[in-house]
Amino acid sequence: MNKTLLVLKHELITVLSRPSFLFVIFGIPIIGAIIFSVAGQLTKGSSAQILLSSLISTPSTVQAEGYIDQSGIIKTIPDSVESGLLLPFPDEGSARKALNDGEISAYYIIPADYIQSGEIIYIRPDFNPLGSSSQSDLMQWILKVNLLGGDVQLATLINGPMSTQKVALSPEPQRDANNLLTYFLPYAVLILFYIIILSTASLLLSSVAKEKENRVMEILMVSVTPRQLLTGKIVGLGLIGLIQVVAWVGTGRLLLARSGTTFNLPIAFQLPTSFLIWGLVFFLLGYAVYASLMAGLGSLVPNLREASQATILVIFPLMIPMFLNSLLINEPDSIISVILSLFPLTSPVAMMTRLAAGGVPLWQTFLAAILLAITAMLVVRSVARMFRSQTILSGQPFSRKLFFNTLMGKA
Amino acid sequence: MIKFWRVAWHEYSRHVFRKRFLFALFSVPILIIFMVILVIAMIIMETSVKPVGYVDYSGLLAEAVAPPRVKWPDQTIPMLAYKDETIANADLQAGKIQAYYIIPEDYLKSGATKVIYLDKIKGSAERQFASFLKANLLSNQPSDIANRIINGNDIIVRSTDNSREASQNRFINILMPIIAGILFIVGMSTSSGYLMQSVVEEKENRTMEIMVTSVSPNQLMSSKVIADILVGVTQLVVWAIFVILVLVIGSNYFPWLRDFKFSGEMTGIILAVMIPAFIMISGLMAAVGATVSEASEGQQILGLFTIPIWLPYLFIGVFIQNPNSPLAIAMSLFPLTAPMTITLRLGFTTIPAWQLIASVSILVISAIGAVWLAGRAFHLGMLRYGQRIRWKEVISHQKV
Repeated sequence: MNKTLLVLKHELITVLSRPSFLFVIFGIPIIGAIIFSVAGQLTKGSSAQILLSSLISTPSTVQAEGYIDQSGIIKTIPDSVESGLLLPFPDEGSARKALNDGEISAYYIIPADYIQSGEIIYIRPDFNPLGSSSQSDLMQWILKVNLLGGDVQLATLINGPMSTQKVALSPEPQRDANNLLTYFLPYAVLILFYIIILSTASLLLSSVAKEKENRVMEILMVSVTPRQLLTGKIVGLGLIGLIQVVAWVGTGRLLLARSGTTFNLPIAFQLPTSFLIWGLVFFLLGYAVYASLMAGLGSLVPNLREASQATILVIFPLMIPMFLNSLLINEPDSIISVILSLFPLTSPVAMMTRLAAGGVPLWQTFLAAILLAITAMLVVRSVARMFRSQTILSGQPFSRKLFFNTLMGKA
Repeated sequence: MIKFWRVAWHEYSRHVFRKRFLFALFSVPILIIFMVILVIAMIIMETSVKPVGYVDYSGLLAEAVAPPRVKWPDQTIPMLAYKDETIANADLQAGKIQAYYIIPEDYLKSGATKVIYLDKIKGSAERQFASFLKANLLSNQPSDIANRIINGNDIIVRSTDNSREASQNRFINILMPIIAGILFIVGMSTSSGYLMQSVVEEKENRTMEIMVTSVSPNQLMSSKVIADILVGVTQLVVWAIFVILVLVIGSNYFPWLRDFKFSGEMTGIILAVMIPAFIMISGLMAAVGATVSEASEGQQILGLFTIPIWLPYLFIGVFIQNPNSPLAIAMSLFPLTAPMTITLRLGFTTIPAWQLIASVSILVISAIGAVWLAGRAFHLGMLRYGQRIRWKEVISHQKV
C-alpha cells in the first residue's frame, strides 16, 4: 500500500512540475478569457473593429445594381425597396457601360422565357456565386411580387406564415431552440469531457510507455508489483484530471464573472447540482475505463512513438459522440442519442452532453452509470492481468491483435 | 543515377506497400461514405410520417391542393383537415397526428398561425406545412406563374468577361476546386510527414552514415523528396478515382451531381499552385527531419507548418463573403497559406491574373529555397549527434 502511495506521489509531482502541463491547466483558460474580452471590446465603431473589418472586406462599392428586363415582367418595384437600389436598363450595352463607369456594381438579365425556364443571369465583376446570394434575394423578391401582379401581401405569405405561435401541451420545460446557449452549453460540456478524459488517459499512456522505453520499468519492477504500479498511476493521474477540471471550470467562471458585463453568461450557465454529481460519476468511471485501456496499450508498445500511433484504437469510440454532436444536442431523445449515451464506451461523453441538453429520464442515467461501472470493473481487471511483468518487460512490436487478445486474457 | 532511383524506389515501396498506408488511403473515402450515409439516416429519422392536422377558419384551405412532392430522402407527411379544435386535440393526445395548425380567419391579412403539439415539432413538418400553404395560396394563379414561384429561380452568376459561369443552385462546380484543394493538402501533409519520419529515423538509427558512403547526400535527399512526392501522387490518384466514381455512379441518384463540368483552366491553376507547394513542403519537412535528433521533437515542429497551411480553412466564411479582401490577397501570396487560399478563392471568384502569377512565382522560389535549405541542413547535421542544429547555422554563410 505504501508503495502505491509512493507511485501516486511521484506521478503527481512529475506531471504537476512540468511547465507544459501548467500551461495547459492555467494558460488555456487565460487565453480563452483574453479572446473573450477582446471580442467583447470589439463593439461597433471602435478603431480596432474598423481596422479588422477593413482587412476582411473588399473596399466598399456602389450598392446599386441594374437589371435588363427582356421578359417585361417587372412593372412595379414595391415601396419597401429603397429607391435607387435597382435601376432598369434598356439593353445590355448601356448596363455594361454603367457597370464600367461604376454607377452600378452588378446587373441582372431576365430572359424573355423567364417564366418557363426560371433562369436569371447575374453579371458580377467579382463572380461570387456563394457570397452573392444575399444581394440577389432582393431581385428574386421583386420578381415574385411582379409575378403575382404586384400583390406584396400575397408574396410575403408565400414565404410562409409571418408568425407562428407555438404551443406545447407537454408539461416538460421547453428548450428555447433560438437561444444560442441551449446549443452552446451542451457543446461546451461535450468538448470539456472529451478533452479531459482523453488528455488524462493519454498522460497514463505516455507515462507507462516512456518508463518502458527508457527501461526505468525494469528497475521499478524489482521493488513494486505491477498491480501497485498500475493503481498508483491510475489514481494519481485521475487526481490530476480532477485538478484540471477544477482549474478550468474555476478559472473560467471567475474570469467570466469578472467580465460579466460583456456576456451575460452566469444566469444561463446555471446547471442543477445533480448535474455536477453526475459529472463527477461519469468522469471518474469514464476515466477509469479509458485510462486503464491506455495503460494496457502502454504496457504493450515498445516505445512512445508507436504508442501514439496505436491510441486511435482506443479513442475511436470516444470520437463518435464528437462526430454526432449536433444530433446529441438537438435531438437528445432520438434513438441514436439514447444508444450512444447507454453504450459504455461512448456514454461518459454522450450522457453528459444529453444531461446538459436536458430532459433525460432518470432511469437512463442510472442504467448508463451502472453499465459504465461494470465495464470499468471488467476493463480494470483485464488490464491488471495484462500488466504483468512479462508483457511490460518484453520488447515485442505492437499489433492490434496482440492488444485485443491480451485484453481478453488469451495471450 | 541508378542509385538515385534505387533510393527513391526503396523509399516509395517502404511507404506504399504497408498496411498503414493502405489504411490511411482508404480511410478517407470510407469516412466520407460513412458521413453521407449518416446524414441521410439522420434526415430519414428526423422525419416522422405521422400526419399533421389543421383547422382552417380562413377558407384558404377549403379546397386544399396537395403540396408539391418532396425529394428523397425527405418523406411526404400527410395533411389532415379537421372541423374543429377539440377533435384535433383528441387525435393529438391519442397520438394519431404529430401536431395541428390553426389558421385564423384573418390569415391572409395578418399571416399569423398557431401550431399545437405535444413536446416538440420536427423541422420537416414545419417545412412541409409551409409548402402546403404556399401551394394553396398559389392555386388560383395561372399555372405557369405558380410553377415558377414554387420551383424558384435559377440564378446564373457570370463574370464580366464571360469567362466563368456558375449557377447558385448548382454548387457542385463551386465545391469542386475546394474539394480538390483539401484533398491535395491532406495528401501533401501526410506524405511529407512520412518523409520527415524517414529522415529522422535513418538519422536516429545511424543508417544515414552507411548510406552516405555510397550515395551523395544531394542524391539521397532529392531522391527522398521525389519518392515522397510520388507517394503523395499515388494517394491523390486513388482519391481522384474515388471522386470520379462518385460523380459517375452518384449522378444516377443525385441529379445535381450531373451539373459538374470539368474545367481545364481550373485544373491547370490548381496544378500550377500545388506542384511547387508540394515540393516546398516536402523540402521543409526534410529540413526539419535533418535538424532534429528525435522523431517526437520533429512532430512538434511539424505543427508549426501545419497550422498556417490549414489556417485559410478557418476563414472560409470570410472568403465567401469577400473573396477579394486584403486578407484574402495577402494569404494567397504568403507561400504557406497560398495553396489553400487559392483553391478556396478559385471556387468563389475570378482571381486576377497578377495575383496568380505572383503567387505561383513566390511558391516556386520558396520551393527552391526549401530544397536548398534541406540539403544544407542535411550537410550540417551529418555526424553530429545529440546536438540540435540551430537554424541560424543553416541560414548563415558558413561553408559546409
